[in-house]
Amino acid sequence: MGKKVFLVDCRICNGCYSCQIGCKDEHVGNDWTPIAKPQPEIGQFWFKLHEKVRGTVPKVKVAYRPGLCMHCDNPTCKEVCTAGAIYKRDDGLVIIDPEKCTGCRRCVEACPYEDVIYFNEDLNIAQKCTGCAHLIDGGWKETRCSDNCPTLCIRIVDEDSEEAKEFIKDAEFYKPEIADKMKPRVYYKGLPKKFIAGTLFDPVEDEVIIGAECKLTGEGKTYSVTSNHFGDFWFENLPDGKYKLEIKAGNKSKVIDNIDATELDVNLGDIPL
Amino acid sequence: MSTESKIKPIPGTAPPPVGADKTVVKAINLSGGIFGACPAYVDVKDGKVVRIRPLHYDSKYDYESFNPWEMERNGVKLRPLSKSLPPPWGLAYKKRAYSPNRIPYPLKRVDWDPNGERNPQNRGKSKFVRISWDEATDIIASEIKRIHKQYGPLAILVQCDGHSESKLIHAPHGCSTLLLKQMGGFTQQVRNPDSWEGWYWGAKHVWGKGFIGNMAPAENLVKDITENTELLIVQGGDLETTPWGFRGQFASRLMFFWQEAGIEQVYICPDLNYSAAIHANKWIPILPNTDAALQLAIIYMWVTEGTYDKEYVATHTVGMDKIEAYVLGKVDGVPKTPKWASEKTGIPSYTIKALARHWAKKRTTVGHYFGGGYIRGPYSTEPARLEVILLGMQGLGKPGVHHAQIAYLGMPKNITWDQLNYDIASTDTAGGFQEYSGTFETLKAKDPELYERIFTPHRSTPQAWGKQLIPKTLIEAAIKAGTDKSIEFWGTGGHEEEPIDQVIKYTYPCKKGDLRFTGSDKKDLAHDDTDIEKIYEKIDYDGVPIRMVWTDTPCRQTCWGDGFDIGMTIRSPQIEFVLAQHPWLENDCLYADIILPTNTTLEVDDVMPCVRDGEHFQTMINMRQAIPPIGESKSDFEAVVEIAKKLGLEKEVTIGRTVQEYVEGVYKGMNFDKIVPWEEFKEKDYMVIPVSKNWKKLPAGLYEFYKDPEKNPLPTPTGKLEFCSTNLEKYFPNDEERPPYPQWIEKGITHDERLSSPRARTYPLLIITNHPRWRVHAQADDIPWTKEAMTGKIRGFDGYLYEPCWINPKDAAARGIKTGDIVKVFNERGIVLCGALVMERIMPGVVSVDHGARTDIIIPGKLDRGGAINLISPGGLTSRHAGGQATTSFLVEVQKVTMEEYEKWKTEYPEAWNREYDRASGLKATAWVVRGDE
Repeated sequence: MGKKVFLVDCRICNGCYSCQIGCKDEHVGNDWTPIAKPQPEIGQFWFKLHEKVRGTVPKVKVAYRPGLCMHCDNPTCKEVCTAGAIYKRDDGLVIIDPEKCTGCRRCVEACPYEDVIYFNEDLNIAQKCTGCAHLIDGGWKETRCSDNCPTLCIRIVDEDSEEAKEFIKDAEFYKPEIADKMKPRVYYKGLPKKFIAGTLFDPVEDEVIIGAECKLTGEGKTYSVTSNHFGDFWFENLPDGKYKLEIKAGNKSKVIDNIDATELDVNLGDIPL
Repeated sequence: MSTESKIKPIPGTAPPPVGADKTVVKAINLSGGIFGACPAYVDVKDGKVVRIRPLHYDSKYDYESFNPWEMERNGVKLRPLSKSLPPPWGLAYKKRAYSPNRIPYPLKRVDWDPNGERNPQNRGKSKFVRISWDEATDIIASEIKRIHKQYGPLAILVQCDGHSESKLIHAPHGCSTLLLKQMGGFTQQVRNPDSWEGWYWGAKHVWGKGFIGNMAPAENLVKDITENTELLIVQGGDLETTPWGFRGQFASRLMFFWQEAGIEQVYICPDLNYSAAIHANKWIPILPNTDAALQLAIIYMWVTEGTYDKEYVATHTVGMDKIEAYVLGKVDGVPKTPKWASEKTGIPSYTIKALARHWAKKRTTVGHYFGGGYIRGPYSTEPARLEVILLGMQGLGKPGVHHAQIAYLGMPKNITWDQLNYDIASTDTAGGFQEYSGTFETLKAKDPELYERIFTPHRSTPQAWGKQLIPKTLIEAAIKAGTDKSIEFWGTGGHEEEPIDQVIKYTYPCKKGDLRFTGSDKKDLAHDDTDIEKIYEKIDYDGVPIRMVWTDTPCRQTCWGDGFDIGMTIRSPQIEFVLAQHPWLENDCLYADIILPTNTTLEVDDVMPCVRDGEHFQTMINMRQAIPPIGESKSDFEAVVEIAKKLGLEKEVTIGRTVQEYVEGVYKGMNFDKIVPWEEFKEKDYMVIPVSKNWKKLPAGLYEFYKDPEKNPLPTPTGKLEFCSTNLEKYFPNDEERPPYPQWIEKGITHDERLSSPRARTYPLLIITNHPRWRVHAQADDIPWTKEAMTGKIRGFDGYLYEPCWINPKDAAARGIKTGDIVKVFNERGIVLCGALVMERIMPGVVSVDHGARTDIIIPGKLDRGGAINLISPGGLTSRHAGGQATTSFLVEVQKVTMEEYEKWKTEYPEAWNREYDRASGLKATAWVVRGDE
């Protein structure tokens, strides 16, 4: 059996929640013991779509991140489980055995990723994404989340497939700082970074300024763009940090310093020149 | 993104039905009508739904045998996936079947006595008691007989149109007409073009009939935009919302593909809608319903800078002189400059100039998917007509220059088009239905009796065919006219009417000598009023005031205008009996006297041609029953048959055939057995209709007109694009709300909903009421899992799930509002409670509440807790002579609900406030049922 990896490309997620809903359709009211007992009807998300609004009017984007159990190769949940209920399958999927779980909640506390392990009060067990192991064992090449996905932004494939190798080449991890320790099996592309954007205009002529040179410096790097036909400039995929922007348009120029993109994306607004 | 498409077909991965003992196929879109979409597998175990999942087209056939189409731009390719792409609520549809809001058994209003006191004033207030099907159908049959005898058949108003589940045989709308047409006819509520009012009442006067008012022909637009369009302006519509209910999520793939292929997408809308949120190269926020000002300023720029296609305008259009004089200020002394437009729209004048210049340089298509504040607000005829003029000024029909309902029309044709070789320009094949319905023509020829049985219920959505007519927007006006007055209107609003219908004056009650469309052969029309003699005749009977309402479409209060008034008006004693049939106890059902429980697609056997544009492939599916009927429910068709039995008309309604005989008759009658034999189809439950080998040959959009307007004239009086309309100029020369050529209408006798209104001092915000992301109009508001999306519902401190009200952080801060607060959205028409969602996805000065939430009325006519925003939308028409609705872009104020106010409502209306409520799915049917009789 090949080891499974999940490939998630946030750039082509349309935010339809069919992944999250498919997970519920599969697991709410259906008992897949020994892989999983039913998920509560609402409020718990073995698959969770994270949604974030970035920027301010009119430079706004929405970022979606499909999130699920990372099926780590070094799963903390398994380490802390004293009941021996958590195991890793040959195909890489990490399962909480619903019949062995004693409800001690240690795994819920131990998982370093948020919104992965939930505690089912009614059944007194911890529960999470199973990678639809019951379906994989039944002959599926998909999980419910990936089968429901209209844009194929979520894929579950064998680790040694061409598709996986191609994707993983320039993929990234969610919470990269703990990836070495955890060895997650979920690879991402297009996780949101920061943007800095604005519009340049000439208040006397009442015209946008097209083709202005915009130079952004920060975090040890320099980026250059020119303003487009709407007078807009966009610096995207920036690392968190503080930046300085220098604008040059003919004989006009402007410097904006201390642009703080450590927490939030920045719309500098309409800038008169 | 990489230059290589990351979206590729993945054949050969069809999943098996794990944990199921039965798998059936269902169309799980929610547009209804004679065609479905979104085929999906439903896995069932022990009579219960296990899961609903996309249909993999290659489960039982070879992918390549479908002759998959391919499109390419800049080295990026798009091919169909081997699976269907249903919307999220379709994939969660089992929750809809098992909803606690399902009507468990027939109900009678507790204080409605057909032999005594009817208490019409208590509709919407009194609860219901359980009765048997036998008892219910006895009462209904005797009421029909009484009303027919006392007043005549036209005293029964039938409301049976609009969207629904997709079922062909068990049509959710219109089965009542199968019975009533045998009994002397009925009064029909004519559905107005509720998602595209502006094009219907406006653009038709520029480019002729079109396809229900939109540009036609619209063939191969997807291919042509892919290959030739440089700039796609999406004005108002949302490609990540509205297509879902109709055809699923293919439009999403297409927009990602165009993005990756380098086609620039500019979104002009007050909200960062779901499509703009992920596909926009630029978002230009615009104050609601001010698009006409922006468009006029763009024309001003093109005229003053000479950047439009003057040759095309000279040869393909009439009336440019009037437009030019108007934008230059020669008519009203106000030049329509970017500065002028900036004040109206809230868009900086430098941005308007930049947009005008960029548009003039690039091959530009204006894209939509119906809906949006742009096209269904007050005076929507004006932006719609201006859009056509703008496109006309840049050579409409030229490769890359189109009006496009994106992927709704214009996808590759399938092989039935080859086989039937039907007239591609016609919108009137199949008895006046839609252009791709060629296969219904063969059913009509081979088995006319079955055709009538199948087609009749579905007629009322697109056609005005009742003996007496009332536009859906004028039902309340008609009831208020009482029994001694009449109302008049221009045009029925039926989707398939000729533009000339809009100059004809109709009356209710109708009178001998009134004109009625005959449906005669419509070839060789002049498209001016000489057509009236050819296609209309005088009726030889008088109508009567309505006395009974029979609805299978009980959503008017949450989907049409001034909904509070709708609820109050149906309490008129003139309306002696209101009969509703519906699966869920919601909205207008609560104002009925008898309610019949009907059921969902999962509970019946049916068949569905899924042949609308906008999916990867077109299919024909055998929709076998998945689960037994819930409670005492019957299908909408079976319910009517039960009534017919009591009236001795069963055979007339059923044509003496079984459902299985219908299924086989439809399949063979539509010639699908020529593609896959009947026995094989029955065994496999679906077939894929291969793509035509000739699909690329069809000219895109109005290309033929663009090439030679004399040989290929438009269906207008002059054969040209009429920037100034011949018909409107002749019939309504002084109409200030829809003048002969489009203008800026600040306010008029019908509407006063702009920031310049004195009303704006009290109600300073403009609201948009988009087509909902997490419903299809009123459908699917009870699915718990869509409510959990960030923009699904807002759970208040009291645990109640409130409909979100989007508000900009600036407006929220000024009002002390935070996300999660219970807020009241109000104007002089009433109060609707919502949950605040403070976000940068809405421009300052504007709020947004999706329409169609279930009503939860606390004080009839005044206060709603369900978030049904149309309860306080304007009730007026689009304008005096344009009979559409105007239910978006109107004035409101939003305030945080104080604890004092909250406690007062709770104390004064304890029963309404404390209705039985399911924490996951919301309202429960049992809240309205008087118990103790089981």
